[in-house]
Amino acid sequence: MVKELTLAQLRMMAERSGLKLTDEEVGKLLPGVNRSHNQILELRKLITDSIEPASAFAASRTEKK
Amino acid sequence: MALTELTHLSITEAASGLRRKEFSPSELARACLERIESIDHKLHSFITVTADLALEQARKAEQELRGGTDKGPLHGIPIALKDLYATKGIRTTCHSAVLQDWVPDHDATTVTKLCEAGTVLLGKLGMHEFAFGGPSVDAPFPAVRNPWNMAHIPGGSSSGSGAALAAGLCLGCLGSDTGGSIRTPSSHCGVVGMKPTYGRVSRFGVVSLSWSLDHAGPMARTVEDCAILLQAIAGYDPKDPASANVPVPDLRSELKNKIKGLRVGVPRVNWFNENKGTDPETEAIFDTALKTLESLGAVVVEIDGRPFSIARKANQTILTAEAYAYHEKRFQEAPEKFGSSVRRRMLEGAFLSAADYITALRARTVLNEQIRANFSAVDIFVTPSAPRPPDAFETMDPNEQNLRPSFTNPFNLTGLPAISLPCGFTKDNLPVGLQIAASPFEESTVLRVAYAYERASEWHTRRPKL
Repeated sequence: MVKELTLAQLRMMAERSGLKLTDEEVGKLLPGVNRSHNQILELRKLITDSIEPASAFAASRTEKK
Repeated sequence: MALTELTHLSITEAASGLRRKEFSPSELARACLERIESIDHKLHSFITVTADLALEQARKAEQELRGGTDKGPLHGIPIALKDLYATKGIRTTCHSAVLQDWVPDHDATTVTKLCEAGTVLLGKLGMHEFAFGGPSVDAPFPAVRNPWNMAHIPGGSSSGSGAALAAGLCLGCLGSDTGGSIRTPSSHCGVVGMKPTYGRVSRFGVVSLSWSLDHAGPMARTVEDCAILLQAIAGYDPKDPASANVPVPDLRSELKNKIKGLRVGVPRVNWFNENKGTDPETEAIFDTALKTLESLGAVVVEIDGRPFSIARKANQTILTAEAYAYHEKRFQEAPEKFGSSVRRRMLEGAFLSAADYITALRARTVLNEQIRANFSAVDIFVTPSAPRPPDAFETMDPNEQNLRPSFTNPFNLTGLPAISLPCGFTKDNLPVGLQIAASPFEESTVLRVAYAYERASEWHTRRPKL
Protein backbone atom coordinates (compact mmCIF):
# COMPACT_ATOMS: atom_id res chain seq x y z
CA MET A 1 0.00 0.00 0.00
CA VAL A 2 1.35 3.47 -0.87
CA LYS A 3 1.13 6.40 1.51
CA GLU A 4 -2.44 7.65 1.48
CA LEU A 5 -3.29 11.13 0.25
CA THR A 6 -3.99 13.75 2.89
CA LEU A 7 -6.81 16.25 2.88
CA ALA A 8 -4.37 19.08 2.08
CA GLN A 9 -2.89 17.19 -0.88
CA LEU A 10 -6.33 16.40 -2.24
CA ARG A 11 -7.40 20.02 -1.88
CA MET A 12 -4.32 21.10 -3.86
CA MET A 13 -5.04 18.52 -6.56
CA ALA A 14 -8.61 19.72 -6.81
CA GLU A 15 -7.49 23.31 -7.29
CA ARG A 16 -5.00 22.29 -9.97
CA SER A 17 -7.85 20.47 -11.75
CA GLY A 18 -9.87 23.68 -11.82
CA LEU A 19 -12.40 22.38 -9.30
CA LYS A 20 -13.92 24.65 -6.68
CA LEU A 21 -14.80 22.26 -3.86
CA THR A 22 -15.70 23.00 -0.26
CA ASP A 23 -13.58 21.54 2.54
CA GLU A 24 -16.48 19.31 3.46
CA GLU A 25 -16.69 17.99 -0.08
CA VAL A 26 -12.95 17.32 -0.27
CA GLY A 27 -13.22 15.45 3.04
CA LYS A 28 -16.01 13.26 1.71
CA LEU A 29 -13.99 12.48 -1.42
CA LEU A 30 -10.82 11.44 0.36
CA PRO A 31 -11.74 7.83 1.30
CA GLY A 32 -12.96 7.06 -2.22
CA VAL A 33 -9.87 8.57 -3.86
CA ASN A 34 -7.56 6.57 -1.61
CA ARG A 35 -9.57 3.42 -2.29
CA SER A 36 -9.21 4.07 -6.04
CA HIS A 37 -5.46 4.42 -5.72
CA ASN A 38 -5.20 1.16 -3.79
CA GLN A 39 -7.20 -0.52 -6.54
CA ILE A 40 -4.67 0.68 -9.10
CA LEU A 41 -1.90 -0.95 -7.08
CA GLU A 42 -3.76 -4.25 -7.19
CA LEU A 43 -4.29 -3.95 -10.93
CA ARG A 44 -0.58 -3.25 -11.46
CA LYS A 45 0.20 -6.69 -10.05
CA LEU A 46 -1.63 -8.25 -12.99
CA ILE A 47 0.36 -6.68 -15.78
CA THR A 48 3.75 -7.34 -17.28
CA ASP A 49 5.76 -5.23 -19.74
CA SER A 50 4.28 -6.99 -22.75
CA ILE A 51 0.66 -6.20 -21.88
CA GLU A 52 -0.94 -3.49 -24.02
CA PRO A 53 -4.05 -1.53 -23.02
CA ALA A 54 -7.45 -2.73 -24.20
CA SER A 55 -9.17 0.51 -25.00
CA ALA A 56 -12.38 -1.37 -25.76
CA PHE A 57 -13.66 -4.82 -26.51
CA ALA A 58 -12.89 -5.36 -30.21
CA ALA A 59 -15.25 -7.49 -32.21
CA SER A 60 -12.60 -8.16 -34.82
CA ARG A 61 -10.50 -9.95 -32.20
CA THR A 62 -13.31 -12.24 -31.17
CA GLU A 63 -12.50 -15.92 -31.20
CA LYS A 64 -15.68 -17.73 -32.04
CA LYS A 65 -16.20 -21.15 -30.53
CA MET B 1 -60.29 -7.85 -20.87
CA ALA B 2 -59.76 -5.56 -17.85
CA LEU B 3 -57.44 -2.60 -18.38
CA THR B 4 -54.93 -3.80 -15.76
CA GLU B 5 -54.84 -7.19 -17.46
CA LEU B 6 -53.93 -5.51 -20.74
CA THR B 7 -50.98 -3.67 -19.21
CA HIS B 8 -49.58 -6.87 -17.71
CA LEU B 9 -49.58 -8.78 -20.99
CA SER B 10 -46.24 -9.82 -22.38
CA ILE B 11 -45.29 -8.32 -25.74
CA THR B 12 -45.86 -11.74 -27.30
CA GLU B 13 -49.35 -12.01 -25.80
CA ALA B 14 -50.24 -8.44 -26.73
CA ALA B 15 -49.04 -8.95 -30.31
CA SER B 16 -51.31 -12.00 -30.61
CA GLY B 17 -54.25 -10.16 -29.04
CA LEU B 18 -53.83 -7.24 -31.45
CA ARG B 19 -53.86 -9.55 -34.45
CA ARG B 20 -56.88 -11.44 -33.14
CA LYS B 21 -58.54 -7.99 -32.73
CA GLU B 22 -59.30 -8.68 -29.06
CA PHE B 23 -58.21 -5.08 -28.40
CA SER B 24 -56.67 -2.29 -30.44
CA PRO B 25 -53.31 -0.47 -30.13
CA SER B 26 -55.24 2.60 -28.91
CA GLU B 27 -56.95 0.58 -26.15
CA LEU B 28 -53.60 -0.88 -25.14
CA ALA B 29 -51.93 2.55 -25.05
CA ARG B 30 -54.85 4.07 -23.12
CA ALA B 31 -54.72 1.24 -20.59
CA CYS B 32 -51.03 1.94 -19.94
CA LEU B 33 -51.57 5.71 -19.74
CA GLU B 34 -54.44 5.28 -17.29
CA ARG B 35 -52.35 2.99 -15.11
CA ILE B 36 -49.46 5.47 -15.17
CA GLU B 37 -51.89 8.20 -14.16
CA SER B 38 -53.35 6.15 -11.33
CA ILE B 39 -50.23 4.71 -9.67
CA ASP B 40 -47.02 6.34 -10.88
CA HIS B 41 -47.33 9.22 -8.43
CA LYS B 42 -46.24 6.62 -5.84
CA LEU B 43 -43.47 5.01 -7.91
CA HIS B 44 -42.04 7.99 -9.83
CA SER B 45 -40.89 5.72 -12.65
CA PHE B 46 -41.72 8.25 -15.40
CA ILE B 47 -40.09 11.67 -15.76
CA THR B 48 -42.02 12.59 -18.89
CA VAL B 49 -45.24 10.99 -20.14
CA THR B 50 -45.81 11.48 -23.87
CA ALA B 51 -49.53 10.75 -23.84
CA ASP B 52 -50.48 12.68 -26.98
CA LEU B 53 -47.66 11.15 -28.98
CA ALA B 54 -48.51 7.66 -27.71
CA LEU B 55 -52.16 7.98 -28.70
CA GLU B 56 -51.19 9.35 -32.11
CA GLN B 57 -48.71 6.49 -32.70
CA ALA B 58 -51.28 3.97 -31.48
CA ARG B 59 -53.91 5.31 -33.90
CA LYS B 60 -51.38 5.08 -36.73
CA ALA B 61 -50.52 1.48 -35.78
CA GLU B 62 -54.21 0.67 -35.66
CA GLN B 63 -54.77 2.00 -39.17
CA GLU B 64 -51.70 0.21 -40.49
CA LEU B 65 -52.64 -3.14 -38.98
CA ARG B 66 -56.21 -2.75 -40.17
CA GLY B 67 -54.92 -1.94 -43.65
CA GLY B 68 -52.73 -5.04 -43.76
CA THR B 69 -49.37 -3.41 -42.99
CA ASP B 70 -47.82 -5.52 -40.23
CA LYS B 71 -44.40 -4.36 -39.02
CA GLY B 72 -43.91 -7.35 -36.74
CA PRO B 73 -44.32 -8.21 -33.07
CA LEU B 74 -43.63 -4.68 -31.77
CA HIS B 75 -46.24 -3.01 -33.95
CA GLY B 76 -48.63 -1.15 -31.66
CA ILE B 77 -46.76 -2.15 -28.47
CA PRO B 78 -46.42 0.55 -25.75
CA ILE B 79 -42.84 1.00 -24.59
CA ALA B 80 -40.80 3.53 -22.61
CA LEU B 81 -37.19 4.71 -22.63
CA LYS B 82 -34.65 5.40 -19.93
CA ASP B 83 -34.25 9.17 -19.98
CA LEU B 84 -30.77 9.11 -21.49
CA TYR B 85 -31.93 8.01 -24.95
CA ALA B 86 -32.05 11.08 -27.16
CA THR B 87 -35.56 11.62 -28.48
CA LYS B 88 -36.10 14.30 -31.12
CA GLY B 89 -38.36 17.02 -29.78
CA ILE B 90 -38.85 15.28 -26.42
CA ARG B 91 -37.01 16.44 -23.30
CA THR B 92 -34.14 14.13 -22.34
CA THR B 93 -32.90 14.90 -18.84
CA CYS B 94 -30.66 12.05 -17.63
CA HIS B 95 -32.56 12.68 -14.35
CA SER B 96 -30.33 15.72 -13.82
CA ALA B 97 -30.63 19.46 -13.35
CA VAL B 98 -27.72 19.70 -15.80
CA LEU B 99 -29.90 18.57 -18.73
CA GLN B 100 -33.27 19.46 -17.25
CA ASP B 101 -34.33 21.45 -20.30
CA TRP B 102 -32.46 19.60 -23.06
CA VAL B 103 -34.64 18.80 -26.06
CA PRO B 104 -32.53 16.83 -28.57
CA ASP B 105 -32.74 17.52 -32.29
CA HIS B 106 -32.14 13.87 -33.12
CA ASP B 107 -33.20 10.37 -32.13
CA ALA B 108 -30.83 7.69 -30.83
CA THR B 109 -30.40 4.95 -33.45
CA THR B 110 -32.22 2.51 -31.16
CA VAL B 111 -35.15 4.93 -30.87
CA THR B 112 -35.34 5.20 -34.66
CA LYS B 113 -35.33 1.40 -34.94
CA LEU B 114 -38.10 0.99 -32.36
CA CYS B 115 -40.14 3.65 -34.15
CA GLU B 116 -39.66 1.80 -37.45
CA ALA B 117 -40.84 -1.38 -35.71
CA GLY B 118 -44.11 0.41 -34.95
CA THR B 119 -43.80 0.83 -31.17
CA VAL B 120 -45.85 3.36 -29.22
CA LEU B 121 -43.76 5.64 -26.98
CA LEU B 122 -45.35 6.24 -23.56
CA GLY B 123 -42.56 8.40 -22.22
CA LYS B 124 -39.15 8.75 -20.61
CA LEU B 125 -38.13 6.93 -17.45
CA GLY B 126 -36.37 7.91 -14.24
CA MET B 127 -32.87 6.68 -13.51
CA HIS B 128 -29.85 7.33 -11.35
CA GLU B 129 -28.56 10.75 -12.35
CA PHE B 130 -26.35 10.34 -15.44
CA ALA B 131 -26.58 6.57 -14.84
CA PHE B 132 -24.11 6.72 -11.92
CA GLY B 133 -24.13 6.93 -8.14
CA GLY B 134 -27.25 5.92 -6.26
CA PRO B 135 -30.89 6.94 -6.10
CA SER B 136 -31.04 10.67 -6.82
CA VAL B 137 -32.45 12.18 -3.65
CA ASP B 138 -31.50 15.78 -4.52
CA ALA B 139 -32.13 15.71 -8.27
CA PRO B 140 -35.00 17.71 -9.81
CA PHE B 141 -37.08 14.53 -10.11
CA PRO B 142 -37.93 12.15 -7.26
CA ALA B 143 -36.11 8.85 -6.80
CA VAL B 144 -37.87 5.82 -8.30
CA ARG B 145 -39.42 3.35 -5.83
CA ASN B 146 -39.51 -0.45 -5.98
CA PRO B 147 -43.03 -1.73 -6.81
CA TRP B 148 -42.47 -4.83 -4.65
CA ASN B 149 -41.93 -2.67 -1.59
CA MET B 150 -41.85 1.08 -1.96
CA ALA B 151 -39.59 1.49 1.04
CA HIS B 152 -36.90 -0.25 -1.02
CA ILE B 153 -34.71 0.86 -3.90
CA PRO B 154 -35.50 -0.54 -7.35
CA GLY B 155 -31.80 -0.85 -8.23
CA GLY B 156 -30.11 1.24 -10.84
CA SER B 157 -29.27 2.95 -12.85
CA SER B 158 -32.21 1.95 -15.09
CA SER B 159 -34.48 2.22 -12.05
CA GLY B 160 -37.54 3.62 -13.84
CA SER B 161 -37.32 0.89 -16.48
CA GLY B 162 -37.35 -1.89 -13.87
CA ALA B 163 -40.11 -0.30 -11.80
CA ALA B 164 -42.38 0.57 -14.76
CA LEU B 165 -42.21 -2.98 -16.09
CA ALA B 166 -42.85 -4.62 -12.72
CA ALA B 167 -45.79 -2.29 -12.07
CA GLY B 168 -47.36 -3.00 -15.47
CA LEU B 169 -47.01 0.56 -16.76
CA CYS B 170 -45.53 -0.47 -20.11
CA LEU B 171 -44.75 -3.68 -21.98
CA GLY B 172 -41.09 -3.13 -22.82
CA CYS B 173 -38.25 -0.69 -22.12
CA LEU B 174 -34.74 0.22 -23.03
CA GLY B 175 -32.13 0.57 -20.31
CA SER B 176 -28.39 1.07 -20.39
CA ASP B 177 -25.65 -0.83 -18.58
CA THR B 178 -22.11 0.32 -17.73
CA GLY B 179 -21.53 -1.71 -14.56
CA GLY B 180 -24.84 -3.55 -14.14
CA SER B 181 -27.44 -0.84 -14.76
CA ILE B 182 -29.81 -3.06 -16.76
CA ARG B 183 -29.26 -6.27 -14.81
CA THR B 184 -29.42 -4.87 -11.26
CA PRO B 185 -32.83 -3.15 -11.57
CA SER B 186 -34.08 -6.19 -13.49
CA SER B 187 -33.01 -8.36 -10.55
CA HIS B 188 -34.40 -6.01 -7.89
CA CYS B 189 -37.73 -5.50 -9.70
CA GLY B 190 -38.28 -9.11 -10.79
CA VAL B 191 -38.11 -8.49 -14.56
CA VAL B 192 -35.82 -9.56 -17.41
CA GLY B 193 -33.00 -7.36 -18.71
CA MET B 194 -30.26 -8.02 -21.20
CA LYS B 195 -26.89 -6.39 -21.70
CA PRO B 196 -25.85 -7.49 -25.19
CA THR B 197 -22.27 -7.91 -26.40
CA TYR B 198 -20.36 -4.62 -26.62
CA GLY B 199 -20.91 -3.40 -30.17
CA ARG B 200 -24.11 -5.38 -30.77
CA VAL B 201 -26.48 -2.46 -30.16
CA SER B 202 -25.72 1.11 -31.22
CA ARG B 203 -24.85 3.63 -28.51
CA PHE B 204 -25.44 6.56 -30.87
CA GLY B 205 -27.72 9.02 -29.16
CA VAL B 206 -27.39 7.38 -25.74
CA VAL B 207 -25.85 9.91 -23.33
CA SER B 208 -22.50 8.45 -22.36
CA LEU B 209 -21.36 7.43 -18.92
CA SER B 210 -18.22 5.55 -19.99
CA TRP B 211 -17.59 5.11 -23.71
CA SER B 212 -15.76 1.80 -23.50
CA LEU B 213 -18.15 0.18 -20.99
CA ASP B 214 -21.59 1.51 -21.99
CA HIS B 215 -24.11 -0.93 -23.41
CA ALA B 216 -27.67 -0.23 -24.59
CA GLY B 217 -30.15 -3.05 -24.16
CA PRO B 218 -33.72 -4.23 -23.66
CA MET B 219 -35.78 -4.85 -20.52
CA ALA B 220 -39.12 -6.67 -20.47
CA ARG B 221 -41.21 -9.07 -18.40
CA THR B 222 -40.23 -12.26 -20.26
CA VAL B 223 -37.17 -13.66 -21.99
CA GLU B 224 -39.00 -13.91 -25.32
CA ASP B 225 -39.97 -10.23 -25.08
CA CYS B 226 -36.31 -9.33 -24.50
CA ALA B 227 -35.40 -11.34 -27.60
CA ILE B 228 -38.02 -9.45 -29.64
CA LEU B 229 -36.78 -6.05 -28.46
CA LEU B 230 -33.12 -6.98 -28.97
CA GLN B 231 -33.87 -8.21 -32.48
CA ALA B 232 -35.35 -4.81 -33.30
CA ILE B 233 -32.47 -2.70 -31.96
CA ALA B 234 -29.40 -4.86 -32.72
CA GLY B 235 -27.15 -4.47 -35.73
CA TYR B 236 -24.32 -2.44 -37.21
CA ASP B 237 -24.54 1.34 -37.03
CA PRO B 238 -21.86 3.46 -38.72
CA LYS B 239 -22.78 6.32 -36.36
CA ASP B 240 -21.35 4.36 -33.41
CA PRO B 241 -17.55 3.92 -33.64
CA ALA B 242 -17.75 0.79 -31.45
CA SER B 243 -20.54 -0.83 -33.44
CA ALA B 244 -19.74 -4.37 -34.58
CA ASN B 245 -20.48 -5.45 -38.13
CA VAL B 246 -21.56 -8.93 -37.08
CA PRO B 247 -24.75 -10.55 -38.45
CA VAL B 248 -27.67 -10.76 -36.00
CA PRO B 249 -29.27 -14.22 -35.96
CA ASP B 250 -33.00 -14.84 -35.59
CA LEU B 251 -32.96 -14.71 -31.79
CA ARG B 252 -36.56 -15.78 -31.26
CA SER B 253 -36.32 -18.90 -33.42
CA GLU B 254 -33.43 -20.24 -31.34
CA LEU B 255 -35.17 -19.84 -27.99
CA LYS B 256 -36.76 -23.26 -27.89
CA ASN B 257 -33.60 -25.28 -28.54
CA LYS B 258 -32.70 -27.58 -25.64
CA ILE B 259 -29.87 -26.99 -23.17
CA LYS B 260 -29.05 -30.64 -22.49
CA GLY B 261 -25.31 -31.12 -22.09
CA LEU B 262 -24.60 -27.38 -21.85
CA ARG B 263 -21.67 -26.71 -19.51
CA VAL B 264 -22.56 -24.09 -16.89
CA GLY B 265 -19.57 -22.39 -15.24
CA VAL B 266 -20.10 -21.12 -11.69
CA PRO B 267 -17.22 -18.83 -10.59
CA ARG B 268 -18.05 -19.24 -6.91
CA VAL B 269 -14.64 -19.82 -5.36
CA ASN B 270 -12.68 -16.59 -4.67
CA TRP B 271 -15.62 -14.41 -5.67
CA PHE B 272 -18.97 -15.12 -4.02
CA ASN B 273 -17.37 -14.78 -0.56
CA GLU B 274 -15.42 -11.57 -1.35
CA ASN B 275 -15.33 -9.22 1.69
CA LYS B 276 -18.82 -9.31 3.21
CA GLY B 277 -19.76 -11.96 0.67
CA THR B 278 -23.10 -12.85 -0.87
CA ASP B 279 -26.29 -12.71 1.17
CA PRO B 280 -26.97 -16.32 2.28
CA GLU B 281 -30.63 -16.23 1.25
CA THR B 282 -29.66 -14.96 -2.21
CA GLU B 283 -27.04 -17.69 -2.59
CA ALA B 284 -29.53 -20.38 -1.49
CA ILE B 285 -32.04 -19.17 -4.10
CA PHE B 286 -29.26 -19.17 -6.69
CA ASP B 287 -28.30 -22.75 -5.78
CA THR B 288 -31.91 -23.84 -6.26
CA ALA B 289 -31.84 -22.22 -9.71
CA LEU B 290 -28.70 -24.20 -10.53
CA LYS B 291 -30.55 -27.40 -9.63
CA THR B 292 -33.31 -26.40 -12.05
CA LEU B 293 -30.73 -25.94 -14.82
CA GLU B 294 -29.27 -29.37 -13.95
CA SER B 295 -32.75 -30.89 -14.14
CA LEU B 296 -32.93 -29.53 -17.70
CA GLY B 297 -29.76 -31.42 -18.62
CA ALA B 298 -27.11 -28.75 -18.02
CA VAL B 299 -23.84 -29.74 -16.36
CA VAL B 300 -22.60 -27.46 -13.57
CA VAL B 301 -18.83 -26.87 -13.41
CA GLU B 302 -17.25 -24.82 -10.59
CA ILE B 303 -14.54 -22.45 -11.91
CA ASP B 304 -12.13 -19.99 -10.31
CA GLY B 305 -13.82 -16.65 -9.58
CA ARG B 306 -10.64 -14.66 -8.93
CA PRO B 307 -10.42 -12.81 -12.29
CA PHE B 308 -14.13 -12.01 -12.06
CA SER B 309 -13.55 -10.52 -8.62
CA ILE B 310 -10.64 -8.34 -9.74
CA ALA B 311 -12.58 -7.18 -12.81
CA ARG B 312 -14.61 -4.80 -10.67
CA LYS B 313 -11.48 -2.79 -9.79
CA ALA B 314 -10.59 -2.27 -13.45
CA ASN B 315 -14.21 -1.56 -14.37
CA GLN B 316 -14.58 1.09 -11.66
CA THR B 317 -11.32 2.80 -12.56
CA ILE B 318 -12.12 3.00 -16.26
CA LEU B 319 -15.71 4.04 -15.61
CA THR B 320 -14.82 6.81 -13.16
CA ALA B 321 -12.04 8.20 -15.37
CA GLU B 322 -14.16 8.22 -18.52
CA ALA B 323 -17.23 9.61 -16.74
CA TYR B 324 -15.25 12.47 -15.24
CA ALA B 325 -13.58 13.20 -18.59
CA TYR B 326 -17.03 13.42 -20.21
CA HIS B 327 -18.33 15.88 -17.57
CA GLU B 328 -15.09 17.71 -16.66
CA LYS B 329 -16.09 21.10 -18.07
CA ARG B 330 -19.47 20.95 -16.32
CA PHE B 331 -17.78 20.11 -13.00
CA GLN B 332 -15.40 23.03 -13.39
CA GLU B 333 -18.14 25.49 -14.31
CA ALA B 334 -21.21 24.47 -12.30
CA PRO B 335 -20.62 21.51 -9.98
CA GLU B 336 -23.67 22.47 -7.91
CA LYS B 337 -25.93 21.33 -10.74
CA PHE B 338 -25.01 17.69 -10.07
CA GLY B 339 -26.75 15.79 -7.29
CA SER B 340 -24.64 14.80 -4.29
CA SER B 341 -24.45 11.08 -5.10
CA VAL B 342 -23.25 11.37 -8.69
CA ARG B 343 -21.00 14.34 -7.84
CA ARG B 344 -19.10 12.41 -5.19
CA ARG B 345 -18.65 9.32 -7.36
CA MET B 346 -17.67 11.13 -10.56
CA LEU B 347 -15.28 13.56 -8.90
CA GLU B 348 -13.10 10.63 -7.85
CA GLY B 349 -12.18 10.48 -11.53
CA ALA B 350 -10.55 13.92 -11.30
CA PHE B 351 -7.82 12.42 -9.12
CA LEU B 352 -6.86 9.50 -11.37
CA SER B 353 -3.78 10.02 -13.52
CA ALA B 354 -3.43 9.08 -17.18
CA ALA B 355 -1.10 6.29 -16.02
CA ASP B 356 -3.79 4.99 -13.63
CA TYR B 357 -6.28 4.84 -16.47
CA ILE B 358 -3.82 3.04 -18.77
CA THR B 359 -3.01 0.59 -15.98
CA ALA B 360 -6.70 -0.29 -15.74
CA LEU B 361 -6.88 -0.74 -19.52
CA ARG B 362 -3.85 -3.03 -19.44
CA ALA B 363 -5.44 -5.02 -16.62
CA ARG B 364 -8.52 -5.22 -18.82
CA THR B 365 -6.44 -7.02 -21.46
CA VAL B 366 -5.28 -9.58 -18.89
CA LEU B 367 -8.70 -10.08 -17.30
CA ASN B 368 -10.39 -10.44 -20.70
CA GLU B 369 -8.00 -13.26 -21.53
CA GLN B 370 -8.34 -14.93 -18.14
CA ILE B 371 -12.13 -14.81 -18.08
CA ARG B 372 -12.58 -15.85 -21.71
CA ALA B 373 -10.11 -18.74 -21.29
CA ASN B 374 -12.86 -20.46 -19.30
CA PHE B 375 -14.82 -20.98 -22.51
CA SER B 376 -12.60 -23.98 -23.27
CA ALA B 377 -14.22 -25.72 -20.27
CA VAL B 378 -17.70 -24.16 -20.05
CA ASP B 379 -20.30 -22.70 -22.43
CA ILE B 380 -21.85 -20.10 -20.14
CA PHE B 381 -21.29 -18.39 -16.78
CA VAL B 382 -24.04 -18.28 -14.19
CA THR B 383 -24.16 -16.14 -11.03
CA PRO B 384 -26.71 -14.31 -8.92
CA SER B 385 -27.39 -10.94 -10.59
CA ALA B 386 -26.91 -9.03 -7.34
CA PRO B 387 -25.15 -10.05 -4.12
CA ARG B 388 -28.16 -9.20 -1.96
CA PRO B 389 -31.80 -8.13 -2.26
CA PRO B 390 -32.65 -4.44 -2.74
CA ASP B 391 -31.87 -2.23 0.27
CA ALA B 392 -34.40 -0.07 2.04
CA PHE B 393 -33.92 3.63 1.23
CA GLU B 394 -33.53 4.40 4.91
CA THR B 395 -30.72 1.95 5.62
CA MET B 396 -28.94 2.16 2.27
CA ASP B 397 -25.16 2.65 2.58
CA PRO B 398 -23.51 3.88 -0.67
CA ASN B 399 -20.17 2.42 0.42
CA GLU B 400 -21.64 -1.02 1.01
CA GLN B 401 -21.48 -2.00 -2.66
CA ASN B 402 -17.69 -2.02 -2.56
CA LEU B 403 -17.78 -4.54 0.26
CA ARG B 404 -19.74 -7.17 -1.66
CA PRO B 405 -18.95 -8.91 -4.95
CA SER B 406 -20.15 -7.14 -8.10
CA PHE B 407 -21.55 -9.92 -10.26
CA THR B 408 -22.28 -7.58 -13.13
CA ASN B 409 -19.07 -5.54 -13.60
CA PRO B 410 -16.96 -8.30 -15.22
CA PHE B 411 -19.33 -8.54 -18.17
CA ASN B 412 -19.03 -4.83 -18.92
CA LEU B 413 -15.26 -5.07 -18.74
CA THR B 414 -15.18 -8.08 -21.08
CA GLY B 415 -18.12 -6.96 -23.23
CA LEU B 416 -19.73 -10.39 -22.93
CA PRO B 417 -23.51 -10.69 -23.31
CA ALA B 418 -25.39 -11.21 -20.02
CA ILE B 419 -29.01 -11.39 -18.92
CA SER B 420 -30.81 -11.18 -15.58
CA LEU B 421 -34.12 -12.96 -15.03
CA PRO B 422 -36.17 -13.69 -11.92
CA CYS B 423 -35.14 -16.83 -10.01
CA GLY B 424 -36.94 -16.46 -6.69
CA PHE B 425 -38.10 -14.24 -3.86
CA THR B 426 -36.77 -13.64 -0.39
CA LYS B 427 -38.83 -14.25 2.76
CA ASP B 428 -39.64 -10.52 2.62
CA ASN B 429 -41.06 -10.97 -0.90
CA LEU B 430 -38.25 -9.14 -2.68
CA PRO B 431 -37.12 -10.48 -6.08
CA VAL B 432 -33.79 -12.22 -6.71
CA GLY B 433 -32.23 -12.44 -10.17
CA LEU B 434 -30.20 -15.07 -12.00
CA GLN B 435 -27.44 -13.85 -14.31
CA ILE B 436 -26.42 -15.85 -17.39
CA ALA B 437 -23.47 -14.79 -19.58
CA ALA B 438 -21.90 -16.31 -22.68
CA SER B 439 -19.11 -15.72 -25.19
CA PRO B 440 -19.11 -12.68 -27.51
CA PHE B 441 -22.15 -12.36 -29.81
CA GLU B 442 -23.73 -15.50 -28.32
CA GLU B 443 -26.88 -13.65 -27.23
CA SER B 444 -28.87 -16.54 -28.67
CA THR B 445 -27.20 -18.94 -26.20
CA VAL B 446 -27.89 -16.59 -23.28
CA LEU B 447 -31.53 -16.23 -24.32
CA ARG B 448 -31.95 -19.97 -24.92
CA VAL B 449 -30.75 -20.87 -21.43
CA ALA B 450 -32.80 -18.08 -19.85
CA TYR B 451 -35.89 -19.18 -21.76
CA ALA B 452 -35.42 -22.82 -20.70
CA TYR B 453 -35.09 -21.73 -17.06
CA GLU B 454 -38.10 -19.40 -17.30
CA ARG B 455 -40.26 -22.19 -18.76
CA ALA B 456 -39.26 -24.43 -15.85
CA SER B 457 -40.15 -21.82 -13.21
CA GLU B 458 -43.01 -19.47 -12.35
CA TRP B 459 -41.20 -16.45 -10.90
CA HIS B 460 -41.84 -14.26 -13.95
CA THR B 461 -45.61 -14.67 -13.51
CA ARG B 462 -45.69 -12.98 -10.08
CA ARG B 463 -46.87 -9.40 -9.79
CA PRO B 464 -46.36 -6.84 -7.03
CA LYS B 465 -49.47 -5.76 -5.14
CA LEU B 466 -50.00 -2.07 -5.85
